[in-house]
Amino acid sequence: MSDRTIIQLDKISVSFDGFKALTDVDINVNENTIHFFIGPNGAGKTTLLDIICGKTKPTAGKVMYYPPSGSDIQLTGMKEYKIVGLGIGRKFQVPSVFTNLTVQDNMELSLKNGRKVLESVFSKARREELERIDEILDMIDLKDKKNILAKNLAHGQKQWLEIGMLLVQNPQVIMLDEPVAGMGKPETFKTGEILKKIKKDCTVIVVEHDMEFVKLYADMVTVMHEGKVLMEGDIDTILNDETVQKVYLGRGGERNA
Amino acid sequence: MSFIKKNSKNIVFTIIVILLALVPLFTDIGLLKSSSIVRYGRYITFAIVAIGLDMIWGYTGILSLGHGIYFCLGGYGMAMYLLMQKTGGKITDFMQRGGFTDLPWFWKPFLNLPLSLILIVIVPSLLAMIIGYFTFKNRVRGVYFSIISQALTWAMYTLFNGLQPYTNGTNGITGIDTIIGSYYDQTNIRILFYAALTALVLVYALSTFLLGTKFGKILIAIRDGENRTYFSGYCVSKFKTVVYVLSALFAAVAGAIYVNLNNSISTSEMTITFSVSMVIWVAVGGRGSLIGAVIGALLVSACEFSVSSAFPDIWQYIIGIFFTVVILFFRRGIVGFVSDIFEKVTVKKNKEGSVA
Repeated sequence: MSDRTIIQLDKISVSFDGFKALTDVDINVNENTIHFFIGPNGAGKTTLLDIICGKTKPTAGKVMYYPPSGSDIQLTGMKEYKIVGLGIGRKFQVPSVFTNLTVQDNMELSLKNGRKVLESVFSKARREELERIDEILDMIDLKDKKNILAKNLAHGQKQWLEIGMLLVQNPQVIMLDEPVAGMGKPETFKTGEILKKIKKDCTVIVVEHDMEFVKLYADMVTVMHEGKVLMEGDIDTILNDETVQKVYLGRGGERNA
Repeated sequence: MSFIKKNSKNIVFTIIVILLALVPLFTDIGLLKSSSIVRYGRYITFAIVAIGLDMIWGYTGILSLGHGIYFCLGGYGMAMYLLMQKTGGKITDFMQRGGFTDLPWFWKPFLNLPLSLILIVIVPSLLAMIIGYFTFKNRVRGVYFSIISQALTWAMYTLFNGLQPYTNGTNGITGIDTIIGSYYDQTNIRILFYAALTALVLVYALSTFLLGTKFGKILIAIRDGENRTYFSGYCVSKFKTVVYVLSALFAAVAGAIYVNLNNSISTSEMTITFSVSMVIWVAVGGRGSLIGAVIGALLVSACEFSVSSAFPDIWQYIIGIFFTVVILFFRRGIVGFVSDIFEKVTVKKNKEGSVA
């Protein structure tokens, strides 16, 4: 854990056809942490990820990226594939892997080399890259499934594969949208352990509803409510806060008990 | 066994090429009529178009209903050169009727062979690049792209019909010879037939090579999850544009060869019907396999010919029923159907083997 900010959202506002999805959101994400965005449905959590990764443009405000080395970069206004090139990866809510390619091909497509059209014709994965892929496959427990088409994986395995695909890019920041939705207890636990390993080398931003999961793995939690930041702090502060109890935890309390 | 399984598509392709190469010999011994050579030659050019379409539709997920444009641009380019050869560079009847005394400016490059060949390649590629760049960059996809491609075909068709003094309208360019001499010389026709076959082999080989590289995997990735591909760091629109231009180029080359084996071209090859037929070839053969496109183009064209000569009144209904059955019951086309059976048989064999 460190106190150095890596992603900074500065007075971000977004409106879709007059509907204000986010209003004046300020969030600092610190390096090598697992930072959770929680909140009721429609609070704007996924929109925050969309803004960081360039899928949605904010109506006001800016997103800054402070890479460990090199100069500061403003992410707002950049194309998504260029943001990916900076080392900011994104996993979607629905597992989106390339179903008709093998696990190995899925991983190799995520490599940083050969992303230009002409390069891609002649690009072959280097040995150290293949070793790195093996390492990651080992971590996400898919090493023996290398040559299986991704469509034949179980739901949880697809999610891990997608996380693996992000890791191949040696990212600085990875963003996950409800990674444990639809997973059983053992799978959820395994996902958490994977995230813990990942945060040694990069920063993890997670949108999640499963409070058990948040409690176990959060370093920092931002509670969103109606497009605004309701509260920010470590998990204990959040759990003991009365406002948070009222607007969010209270409602889901029974479900998450 | 595993060699056969791994290379089954290429083996089938080789067999098809050998059979086609024997067509002139079959006419010699009277198995086929001598007119079959030009006919099969034309089918071969259709197979070239189909490979390009399979690259963009079967592999990348872009359904173009307007590849007739590129086929015709290549075809008209070739026909214009051949017509200029015939008239010796003088203006034609239809231009005179249109009130011209001089050759229109855009006909002038077609007095020259190298320049004509360059234009046959450049004009369709450039058009495809412009169309591809703007539509894919603006993330026009799926059925919206198909509609645009069809509308453009219609526009082009209307344009060529309307510009009677320049293009001879619906009659098109007729009565031309081939690039190597008279259309009625059997030796010329045979040379052109084998040239077409060589082109098919080259196009198939190039496509197979490309699909085997990372480039090919990216195309499949775009088809399976375009957004995911963007977020894996690829500029999807560029890849789409490149593969679209490539398929247009294949169609243009096919069109240019076709004209030599057809001694004419007209706007009937520019109709939406013809562009849709191209898609049907790929669908019937089975998309996403290349070999399916080749089989589909050859088979559907050959069927159309024999059914239409046997049942001149109702042949379109028969062909229509055939398509419907294929689309309804064999969604992955002939190739998909056959490979499913093949897989079932081998799986059964393996099971029996393990029991024994």
